[in-house]
Amino acid sequence: MFLLQIENLHATAGGQEVLRGIDLEIGPGEVHAIMGPNGSGKSTLSYVLSGREGYEVTEGSVTFQGKDLLDMEANERANEGVFLAFQYPVEIPGVAGMTFLKEAFNAKLRYSGEPEANAMEFLKMVREKAKALSMSDEMLRRPVNVGFSGGEKKRNEILQMAVLEPMLSVLDETDSGLDIDALKVVSDGINALRSPDRSMLLITHYQRLLNHIEPDYVHVLANGRIQCSGSKELALELEANGYSGFEGEAA
Amino acid sequence: MANNDAKSQPFTALIEEATSRAPENTPSWLAELNMQAAKRYAQVGWPHARAEYWKYTNLNKLAAGAFALGDPAALAAVPRERILPLDGPQLLLVNGAFRSDLSDISDLPDGLSLRNLAETTEQDRAILGALIEETISADGLPFAAVNTAVLTDVLILEFAPGIATERPVHVISLGGGDGAAFAPRLVIRAGDGAVVDVVESHVGTGGYFADVVTQVSVARDARLGHYKMQNETLDAFHIALTTTEVAEGAVYDSFVLSTGARMARNEIRGTITGGKAEYRINGAYMGNGEQHLDNTTFVDHAAAGSRSREIYKGVLAGASRGVFQGKILVRPDAQQSDGFQMNRAMLLSNKAEVDSKPELEIYADDVRCSHGATVGELEEEQLFYLQTRGIERNLARRLLVSAYIDEAIDEVQNPAVKEAFKQMAAYWLSENLTRNIR
Repeated sequence: MFLLQIENLHATAGGQEVLRGIDLEIGPGEVHAIMGPNGSGKSTLSYVLSGREGYEVTEGSVTFQGKDLLDMEANERANEGVFLAFQYPVEIPGVAGMTFLKEAFNAKLRYSGEPEANAMEFLKMVREKAKALSMSDEMLRRPVNVGFSGGEKKRNEILQMAVLEPMLSVLDETDSGLDIDALKVVSDGINALRSPDRSMLLITHYQRLLNHIEPDYVHVLANGRIQCSGSKELALELEANGYSGFEGEAA
Repeated sequence: MANNDAKSQPFTALIEEATSRAPENTPSWLAELNMQAAKRYAQVGWPHARAEYWKYTNLNKLAAGAFALGDPAALAAVPRERILPLDGPQLLLVNGAFRSDLSDISDLPDGLSLRNLAETTEQDRAILGALIEETISADGLPFAAVNTAVLTDVLILEFAPGIATERPVHVISLGGGDGAAFAPRLVIRAGDGAVVDVVESHVGTGGYFADVVTQVSVARDARLGHYKMQNETLDAFHIALTTTEVAEGAVYDSFVLSTGARMARNEIRGTITGGKAEYRINGAYMGNGEQHLDNTTFVDHAAAGSRSREIYKGVLAGASRGVFQGKILVRPDAQQSDGFQMNRAMLLSNKAEVDSKPELEIYADDVRCSHGATVGELEEEQLFYLQTRGIERNLARRLLVSAYIDEAIDEVQNPAVKEAFKQMAAYWLSENLTRNIR
């Protein structure tokens, strides 16, 4: 059985059709990469999967662990195990990082009918995971993402992912704005979460990230549709030849 | 502003009721004070509809109300969940009268002299009377005149020079009953170098009218933390004036959390009379339904080299309305004054409204003064971000609004009081942001 099954997905944003029939199946433990030029619908796909308002699904279906994902609120999707790592993580003034993580963690426990976490044990767990991402305690005390550099924000996304342990992580342009060292830290964090039952969907413009996180499959998205799929070698081909061969094929 | 037809003014009957009390129950000085204030009220007059000072706060509903003097002997339960949760001595006023029998004064700090009306000194009486002169000022202050015209009791808190209190002295003003009008009158004096905190909680039951006056003075190098929780019923009217005088080297740290009343005006007027003083008046207002919450402040830099800082934040749900009027005056001699003022409001519904009116009036040339005002709403992007982390939309909304308001409450310098305010704000949020509003 697939973890995620997208069938003939059409979606509009601001009245414009952006996704024009996407089919994609992700099995447990698989890492898929979606590559494509700007405006191909990559970010729209991540928002439609995570339940952002302002995107309307006009046709098709998305099934996650046998459930209709599109029928759920954004927080339900998260608690079912779908995680979106944002391309531009949002600043939350006045809410300390640790508080934010605890609220998210407890929301998940509540959702599955479990008692809330022990505060001390939770603190210890988060500190360990933060340390692995070279994040200081001070960063956890600060309001979420406020005054963080681009690299710090991305590390913070991966920390949230590590704490919430999602079944499916959708990583939207996670490599953008990262220097080589930060890219290494972030990729190591992501790779540490790979497991036979957790899956990932990497959304990226460049092949660079895939040197660090090796995908099982690569798909090319252009004009709102997957134009071609292949193994990781496809990414290298794209790096050499660009997207020009795909962009011309308007629907 | 003057309205010469005194008979037609609201509260004229109330004042007559107060001033016609049997003379044997009223000391002659008080009868004289009441009478003087009644005359002033007749001169000052009820604010007319276009009065700039009351431009955003319509008094018609208050004027139309039928009020009689509240019974000071009325026994009512204190709604504990509505007062600031704090340890320490508690002084209870019922319909404006000090009730030692209901107060907890076993543990008053050494160096605090507490006096009610019967115990007032010559100086206390002079202070009470001095306000009548102020009521004739440009802004009128009719409600201070009414307060003085009907007052039957006062509470004087005089802190001796150099003393320091560990726990705040908590004054709880309890209003009782539909149609009750009453006039709590507090005088707070911090002597030279005293470091003290006074808290006011205003609560009650029914649709009453509280006309509150608090007169504060902070002497040389003293520090007074003065904090107010205004948490009346949704049928009550609350109009309060706090006057403050802050001397050289003194710190006045004030915070008002306004969550209650159908209509509330919390007005603070302050004069900085010496250099190196810190004048901090901050606050937050949280409204819902048809509530109208007005914060009006006036800071008078009358001496050189002092700082004033003022941060107010509001959260308005339903069809509630917030008003902020803040004026900073810097007199010609008040060089090197530093004034800062900010009002931020968050509207949680498209029927909520806020009016901000900052005003700087500066006659010195070497000063630093700034003001600002913002109006915003919850950011959809932030809500979505929290939701993608599994947090329910309503909880996400509460977290964001709570963070917004807590930032204002963080200005409170007393840690225990700061925590108490945060609890009250969280309580308001849990009571008022439960439904799915957008």
